[in-house]
Amino acid sequence: MPESLLLNSELIWPLVLALAWMAGEFGHRWTGLPRISIYGLVGFVLANGQAGLLPESASITLLANIAFGLILFELGYRINLRWLRNNPWLGVTSLTEAVATFVAVFHVAQAFAMPFIPSLLLASLAMATSPAAVLRVVNELRSSGQVTERILHLSAFNCVLAVFTFKVIVGLWVFQSTGDVLHALWNSLIVLMVSAALGGLFGVAVPALLSRLGKSERDATVAFAIAVIILVALTHALKFSPVPAALAFGLMARHRRVALSQAERNFGVLGNLLTVLLFVFMASTLEWRMVLAGAGLALVLLLVRFAVKTLCVAAFSHLGGITWRKGVLTGVALTPLSAFVILLLEQTRHLGIGLIDELNALAAITLMLEVIGPVVTHWALVLAKEVPDTDRS
Amino acid sequence: MPLEPFKTSASLTFGVELELQLVNLSDFDLTAASPDMLHLLRREKFPGNVTPEVTESMIEINTDVHTNYPELRGQLQLIRDTLVRAGDQLNIGVCGGGTHPFQQWHERKIFSKPRFREVSAIYGYLIKQFTVFGQHIHIGCTSGDEALFLLHALNRYVPHFIALSASSPYFQGVDTQFNSARLNSVFAFPLSGRAPFLLRWEEFERGYYAKMEDTGIVKSMKDFYWDIRPKPEYGTIELRVCDTPLTVERAAVLSAYLQALCRHLLERNEPEPAEDDYLVYNYNRFQACRFGLDGTLVHPKTHASLSLREDILTTLRLIEPHAAALGSLDALEHLYPLMYEGNDSAYLRTQFSEGGSLEGMVDAAIDRFRTSSAGGA
Repeated sequence: MPESLLLNSELIWPLVLALAWMAGEFGHRWTGLPRISIYGLVGFVLANGQAGLLPESASITLLANIAFGLILFELGYRINLRWLRNNPWLGVTSLTEAVATFVAVFHVAQAFAMPFIPSLLLASLAMATSPAAVLRVVNELRSSGQVTERILHLSAFNCVLAVFTFKVIVGLWVFQSTGDVLHALWNSLIVLMVSAALGGLFGVAVPALLSRLGKSERDATVAFAIAVIILVALTHALKFSPVPAALAFGLMARHRRVALSQAERNFGVLGNLLTVLLFVFMASTLEWRMVLAGAGLALVLLLVRFAVKTLCVAAFSHLGGITWRKGVLTGVALTPLSAFVILLLEQTRHLGIGLIDELNALAAITLMLEVIGPVVTHWALVLAKEVPDTDRS
Repeated sequence: MPLEPFKTSASLTFGVELELQLVNLSDFDLTAASPDMLHLLRREKFPGNVTPEVTESMIEINTDVHTNYPELRGQLQLIRDTLVRAGDQLNIGVCGGGTHPFQQWHERKIFSKPRFREVSAIYGYLIKQFTVFGQHIHIGCTSGDEALFLLHALNRYVPHFIALSASSPYFQGVDTQFNSARLNSVFAFPLSGRAPFLLRWEEFERGYYAKMEDTGIVKSMKDFYWDIRPKPEYGTIELRVCDTPLTVERAAVLSAYLQALCRHLLERNEPEPAEDDYLVYNYNRFQACRFGLDGTLVHPKTHASLSLREDILTTLRLIEPHAAALGSLDALEHLYPLMYEGNDSAYLRTQFSEGGSLEGMVDAAIDRFRTSSAGGA
């Protein structure tokens, strides 16, 4: 029957993907909006709460996690830790903008009478710039230059700082509510460290395997993709954190490259396909009701976060070796906030933290930045003249 | 614009220009980083000069005018250190090499400057394909006549410089089997090749340049892409066939070789250059590009077959007294081992066969550029 067919989740998701992809292509052509912004809009409109079309599905959640894992791996692979040593101002910039964002957002949340722990959690999540949005925009525009390099590095760093802070606060909360130090530690720092270590292990093992395969295996894309899928599934099953795991995998794979090999940017076609899914999925987790309830606070938070990040990054631009203009644009380009914060929150559900319902503002700000963020990054890169001529739209 | 008068320079003074690659340290492809590098480099006094090149993934440096090899080498090393420091601060790799082994020319970005936009409009894809990296060596001449004499007297030695500097075995992702694939890109330009055989500056100016200008094809000397061209505003001739070597030390050594060779040629003990010398010119040039030091030359006067390697060794012995007089015996010493160890192209191919990837090869080139020292020319 047509009705039951339509509600069949195995059928609805592929159709939604097709719809989102088409909307992305046409929307991009007509409006110049980045495709991922449009995927997000499609996901949000069709989601459960809105059109009631998108059923929750464990396999889709896992796929989204894999898509996110692939992006984090690639980001990790593009991070050069030696740069931190060669240019200490990069580290200073990163710490300053992340900490300042945390402090500012926390105070705003408190001013809006949000309870203490949710304020802290919100503040920690606001630190992160969406690595998925930044990397997608960079890849879509094929941009290169200091703004590009710096937003990739800063977003990787502030994501790690955000996850770290978030876990510490969760640990704090577990300790407060249960008094169990071990439980608290396990759910915060240990999970983080074990996840990162697991990723690091992959980062050593996979290149070693590849180098044993020898020269004939020039294209390492498939090998890395499979490894990321395994890693994400593993962290998922063990209730570890896939963010530090995938990032650590990429980082380690880069710095331990036994034999350098070509991997397709963004995992080629596979990456493109999963990106559609990821952005539809992330926005589909947001509910209209929550977005509406949190809109007021979200708007204030959005402005505060934007101002703080821009100011902090711009402040160190001269010391860091770039023009003031590029410094400001780097700060501006850090705007995207990703629904990965929602994924993070979902992972704390099993701890019994019902915070997700108190974080309407987070849902609202996520939706806004899911759509606006990539546009801002896009224009920052165009204004920084880091985009090849033909792609300036 | 009529040709300006040939400025008099002190004979045998010299200077070097190097076009260098700017590389992304994540994927080792070229990266459009020259605006950022130039911004940072211009904050402090640069030991020499740094300018943008036609695409944003290239940067060009040049030294001041020098009289001796140690000073030239010293300045090149200072420049190298400054570039490496700036690259570190911006996460950009800097390296030599005549081509980038796997960059795709269509991905290059033209540097925003009127002249570059103009040539890009004329030559189209040729200009982006021209993302190749050369070393230019200037030799000071006392007059236009001396410049034209040296230019043509050098014709038979051009293959030496190609073979010694060759560092472009790979192009667009494949091993070209050439030692210098770069020169094939230069040859695509309509005004490339050799200069017309004229030995008097007046003749060159009125009998050739003015006519060419009148055709509307050229507006300045810059429009000629010759292997050696006179540069009247500097009072020099400019040898343009060298690939940028992997180290600045090698660049200094090649310059010293040219300087000593010119001193020898100016003694005018060799047979006078003649138009017929050019009968074998393109063949010899091809041999050097294709086979490097293993190439075979045809002597322009005797038409005898010569091993390129042997010919260089003979020349080295011949110009030794001149190198001694110029204080550059040191430099020639560095050339002897090269005859057997092979040029930079050989080094790059070894890197590829050991590391197994073109990315690893670029990584090795970056490392060689930054860590080379006076010993490892």
